[in-house]
Amino acid sequence: MKQTIMTRFGEVEFDPQNIVRFVEGLIGFENLHDFIVMPNRKNGPLFWIQSVEDPDIAFVLTDPTNFFLDYKVVPDGRERDKLGIGKDDECHALAVVTVPPDRKVTLNLMAPLLFAPATNRAIQVVLENSPYKTREPLPV
Amino acid sequence: MLVLTRKPGEGIVIGDDIKITFIETKGAGIRIGIEAPAGKKIYRQEVYDRICLENREASQWNLADLDMLTSAMVKKESL
Repeated sequence: MKQTIMTRFGEVEFDPQNIVRFVEGLIGFENLHDFIVMPNRKNGPLFWIQSVEDPDIAFVLTDPTNFFLDYKVVPDGRERDKLGIGKDDECHALAVVTVPPDRKVTLNLMAPLLFAPATNRAIQVVLENSPYKTREPLPV
Repeated sequence: MLVLTRKPGEGIVIGDDIKITFIETKGAGIRIGIEAPAGKKIYRQEVYDRICLENREASQWNLADLDMLTSAMVKKESL
């Protein structure tokens, strides 16, 4: 059964089965758990997720390996438990994209999202000891 | 805010499952030990604040931005 929600981009129709559940929310948005994945109208590496619970909240995401070939985040046991997956299950790292007023896009590689397709669950993790920053400019 | 004075080696218990121990002062810093359930998220305040801010900023964008960026990226790739 399709559902529709009003967002700040207009009305969006979605299948509840496709909801990605952020079991802990995102950092600073701990109360928002359910998001739907929105394809980009144009082809390209960017897509976005829309909160089902708050029409104002949406994030642009990308697979960071489009830009940083060796970027890799492997979930530890605790993170796998939160995602509901085992050691051999697939898990993708995605970066939140920030579009500042000057439109010089940055990727948050310090706090990527881990997404498990098997369970449709996601979490945001913090890589405290990594060389990556919250505002990593796209490589030129 | 509850303010307590503790000596090195002394601790604080919060609820049933969080224990904070003040280990030592080291230069201008204070080393503390935290025992908490494995699933509890523990962050340094400034790291947490930075990611909160970044997430909040990242939620402010519009479809025109996305279109413009996508066009720019696709164009770059096809060069």
